[in-house]
Amino acid sequence: MKRFSSLKPQLRAGVGLAVIAGAIYAGSLALVTGADTTADKEAKTKKAAQSETKTAKKPAKKQLTGAELYAVNCNRCHPERYPTEFTAAQWKTIMLEMRVRANLPADQAKAILKYLQEDSGTP
Amino acid sequence: MKIHTQLCGIMAAGCVIGGTLIPCAAAVTDDEFNALKKMVQQLGEKVQKLEQTHDQDQQQIQRLKEQLGETQKTATEAQQKAEAVEQVQATKPMPGEGNATHNFTMVGDAEIQFGKVDGQHSGFGLADFAPIFLFRARDNVLFEAGFDIKLQNGTVPLMNDANGNAVNGNSGTTTTFDMSFAQLDYLFNNYVTFVGGDMLLPLGTYTERSAGWINKIPDDPLPRSVLPSSGLGIQLRGGIPVGDSGQSISYSAYCVNGPSSVDGSGNAITYDSGTNKIPNLDLGGNVGFDSNGNSIGNLHGAPSGGGRLGWFYPLKPHYDLELGISGQSGTWDNNGNELWTAGVADGALHVSPYLEVKGEYIYSWQETTDMGTVHPRGWWVQGSYKLAGLNTELPLMNNVELALRYDTVHDGIGTKVDRWTVGYVYYFSNTLLFEGDYEFLNSNDPAQNHNRLVFQVGYGF
Repeated sequence: MKRFSSLKPQLRAGVGLAVIAGAIYAGSLALVTGADTTADKEAKTKKAAQSETKTAKKPAKKQLTGAELYAVNCNRCHPERYPTEFTAAQWKTIMLEMRVRANLPADQAKAILKYLQEDSGTP
Repeated sequence: MKIHTQLCGIMAAGCVIGGTLIPCAAAVTDDEFNALKKMVQQLGEKVQKLEQTHDQDQQQIQRLKEQLGETQKTATEAQQKAEAVEQVQATKPMPGEGNATHNFTMVGDAEIQFGKVDGQHSGFGLADFAPIFLFRARDNVLFEAGFDIKLQNGTVPLMNDANGNAVNGNSGTTTTFDMSFAQLDYLFNNYVTFVGGDMLLPLGTYTERSAGWINKIPDDPLPRSVLPSSGLGIQLRGGIPVGDSGQSISYSAYCVNGPSSVDGSGNAITYDSGTNKIPNLDLGGNVGFDSNGNSIGNLHGAPSGGGRLGWFYPLKPHYDLELGISGQSGTWDNNGNELWTAGVADGALHVSPYLEVKGEYIYSWQETTDMGTVHPRGWWVQGSYKLAGLNTELPLMNNVELALRYDTVHDGIGTKVDRWTVGYVYYFSNTLLFEGDYEFLNSNDPAQNHNRLVFQVGYGF
């Protein structure tokens, strides 16, 4: 620890940033490529078979719709904007910005976009 | 060939028939003659039809030959073109940009304020137009830039006042045009987005999620002055879903030029032209180049690093909790010796569509050459409630939201300010609103110890 604090501040900042960036990149790669590994696929198949047996006993958990995800994610920061306020193309651009600004998970952002585009305004 | 053979066969058959019939012509009856005549006529018609078919076949063969020639010509030209392109292109061509899916959109907000400060006259204090330009170049590439265009009193530098001190006077109006942020967003995949440029910094959530039509109270919480709002650099960020309930973990990690020093030194305090004491830490000034055009890389050579980690847990729509922790660290004086570090804890709670509570705790460590380490710090908490939740049938009530905020800041070098703010928001629509609030200020600096009344009309577009 003492050795670390004796480093120049520039070096400390650089090393810290490199470690954070490396960790994020590694984590991202694991998330992206992990889904394609054979072992994973086998495990998923087994899990799916098990879950099918389980779901036969109890009802499946409901996946949130685009409208529900909109209410969950968007209203926590700003008043509701109605789908008709923008065109489908504009919603696509705005949702891209919102996904970055609010760190929305990709699948949730896509479901919200679909909901907004379905009832979007016409140019 | 086949047709010729048939014709010869028919003619030969005719000759045979003719030859056979001649010797016994004398014995031929009229009926037999007519039958033979009819047969010869039919044979003649058949020959004529076969000749016509032959002609048609010849024409078709000719057309096919012509088409084959054209196809061969096209293939030759295509091959020549491909060879020409190969010669022009690099040996390893870059991937293309795909289809043209770009779109330009403008969003943003505009505000007008009217205020009254204790001991001063009342007046319209602000006219602000804050557009955000969005250009989507591709499905995963976005350029965004936000501006603040404000109108305020003009200033004229005067040499001296009656006491001989350098001061500014007023004349006309001045329009300021500030760039709040300008950044490129590149979405690598579902989990990582690259951001580069002048970025809003994820220190807490206030900067990234505030605008005139979103805030319940017209001005910013006091301790936000302890933190930079934007920084020039690069960032990686994203959101990772947890389960199917909408829960997610979010992260941001960035590297920016960081804060700088007003006078270049590491002293805690410096003086303006009017010999007033001002903090020497410049949170927003280090953008990479001197304004006089000197080609230096930075006011100091050490970038700052920072990031935020957040957890969002929704129980159901409008019932959720978000917690986050963030920070930034880097040197700030020109020699790159003194460290500035800040940490922020933020939280937001929604209980029903009507009740919201949120706040931030901010603490910073600023190393200085003359005062040791000082600690600019503060915190704020804000609650708001929409009266629509009371289910009253009173007119206008459903459009009103009440807001209450407490904020406090200590600049680390002796000045402390506390403030209570009570106010309301009246929603004409989801984006057009009228705000009014009264602020009770308490400070050990007499210049800041004045209560304020503020009204604001805000519109989000």
